[in-house]
Amino acid sequence: MKCLLCDSTIVYSPTWQGLLLRNREEPVCKKCKAEFAEIKEPRCGICGLPGSTLCTDCSYWETTEYRGCIDAGIGLYQYNEAMKTFLHRYKFLQDVELSRVFAEEVKRSLRKPRGVVVPIPMHASKLMERTFPQVDRLLDAAEINYRHFLIKSNSTQGTKTKKERMAVENLFAWNGEAVPKKILLIDDLYTTGTTLRQAAKTLKDAGAEEIRIWTLIRG
Amino acid sequence: MKELEEFLTGRIWLLNFTPFSKDLIDEYISGGLIAVSKGIGKDRVCARCLENSPQKIISFYCSKCEEACYYCRHCINMGRISSCTELITWKHPTQPPQKNHSFAWTGTLTNLQERASIKVSKSLEQNHSHLVYAVCGAGKTELLFVPIFKALQKGLRVCIAAPRTDVVLELSPRIKNAFPDTRIHTLYGGAPYEEGFADIVIATTHQLYRFQDAFDVMIIDEADAFPYSYDASLERAVIKAKKETAPVVYVSATPSERLLKKVPERSEIFRRFHGQDLPVPSFKPLWNYKKSLLKNKIPKKLADWVTDKIRKKEPFLLFLPTIELIDHSIALFQKLDPSIEAVHSQDPQRKEKVMKLRNGEVAGLLTSTILERGITIPNVQVAVVGADDRIFDASALIQIAGRAGRSSEQPGGDVVFFHNGIAREMDKARNRIISYNARSRS
Repeated sequence: MKCLLCDSTIVYSPTWQGLLLRNREEPVCKKCKAEFAEIKEPRCGICGLPGSTLCTDCSYWETTEYRGCIDAGIGLYQYNEAMKTFLHRYKFLQDVELSRVFAEEVKRSLRKPRGVVVPIPMHASKLMERTFPQVDRLLDAAEINYRHFLIKSNSTQGTKTKKERMAVENLFAWNGEAVPKKILLIDDLYTTGTTLRQAAKTLKDAGAEEIRIWTLIRG
Repeated sequence: MKELEEFLTGRIWLLNFTPFSKDLIDEYISGGLIAVSKGIGKDRVCARCLENSPQKIISFYCSKCEEACYYCRHCINMGRISSCTELITWKHPTQPPQKNHSFAWTGTLTNLQERASIKVSKSLEQNHSHLVYAVCGAGKTELLFVPIFKALQKGLRVCIAAPRTDVVLELSPRIKNAFPDTRIHTLYGGAPYEEGFADIVIATTHQLYRFQDAFDVMIIDEADAFPYSYDASLERAVIKAKKETAPVVYVSATPSERLLKKVPERSEIFRRFHGQDLPVPSFKPLWNYKKSLLKNKIPKKLADWVTDKIRKKEPFLLFLPTIELIDHSIALFQKLDPSIEAVHSQDPQRKEKVMKLRNGEVAGLLTSTILERGITIPNVQVAVVGADDRIFDASALIQIAGRAGRSSEQPGGDVVFFHNGIAREMDKARNRIISYNARSRS
């Protein structure tokens, strides 16, 4: 097997656990994997930013109309150089196969979700351009079930400044299906938190009672 | 539009990623001048890089097509090719008008270079491939100037390809100085867009993926890894980029057995341009060097060698087998001299650091095999730490030894292979260097 990231041959060292549990082959080599930095405690209880238990961004958000939209949340990884390269290749170079890179970690983290797993959707035209929904594929690779309740109704966030993002009108619409009480909202990257808050607010307005967020990367 | 034709002639390009407007291209497609083809066809081969292995041609559910598509992971850094992307080519290239090329090189060739140069020209006249087998520092590039000039005068399009960006960047100004009136493009990953039709293209072998039936003469510099056993697609890229009958000139200091067999027409130079012998490497045991470096201790023999070079103010290159070992050891060596720096393939400062060594601003560099070829530093002293490591095959070791003694002022130079047990490849490298020296005298 070749590493999905550096293309070097992965040396397979057999372990008892591997033999007994028939673990799947690793998608990336140890060296590449070691370059990603997991987020450890203490971290913000809402967005998962390492540092204090409530970061300054989230305490600001709690003074706005979005107060209480997100009840809790975590992010798995920091947005370091290796992660930037990964995301660039996955999303912009459209290397769908990279959805497998974190499959084991995603699976472990979302094994017992507290609520129905709901990915952040893509805008239809963006989806045509990218040819795959990147958040759904991360979940598919990890064999996690999910449902959609949201429709992305507006343009992308990527090119806007932080202020523009925080001020923009709601990006999401409810798709009309009955919303479960507890939801775990999933996105690949948390940057300013606008996307996730607007999605959460839309879902709460549609009847959700508790919303947690889960992101692969807390930028 | 002339500009579009000049750009596309000989190229195979992603429809959606050209420097031209979509409307303009559509106009030429409907006019029948631009041909459109699928990125990956039913044969599941990438039309750009010709990759065909199922590990690299991956099936996925495409939201655009709403069905299963394939995409190529091999050349994805150049923009993704999939079954639903389209590639364009210029259908019927018109013969470029005869141009006035000039030849401005004023140097002189040694007798050996001259003889090889004539042989290359002769092979090309007969449309035959040719191998220039010449030691490091023989002056390989210069002997190609006249054959290139002759080809240009006939209106032929010439490509000079090399496996590494460093080598391409080093070649480019030399070729441009020799042919000042010729349009020359230099292509590598991240290179800026250059206008017009280039009669000479200097490119990394990777960039050849973007050409098809383009070149009348193909020169492969540093062709020792050729045929690229580790990356068969690069070999296919060379064949695809040239016109079907175009001859190839392979240039190498350490050609593979396969290449020697494949190309019967050959010229050999085993003497450096300055006429002196190649420095012969000496072997010095350095038992358990890895362990002591990891324990933050430089083995005494190695420390002595480095200190000696620092004291004599001789620039040195210290080759190590792995990036991890370089990263770990650099701090230890900086205790001997704080100016010592480390370079490896992912280092964006690589060029600057080599310049610093050339200018005497740093005492020496710790390096991976990345600096094994293409660089010239007067009076440089060379040591390989762990020359028995698998990464150093005979060709790599010959190239590394070939960094020393390149200038006519200082034709000598120390080459030491520190080892943890002599490997066969070390013997092979040393014997070959000795035989080159012997053959050049006979």
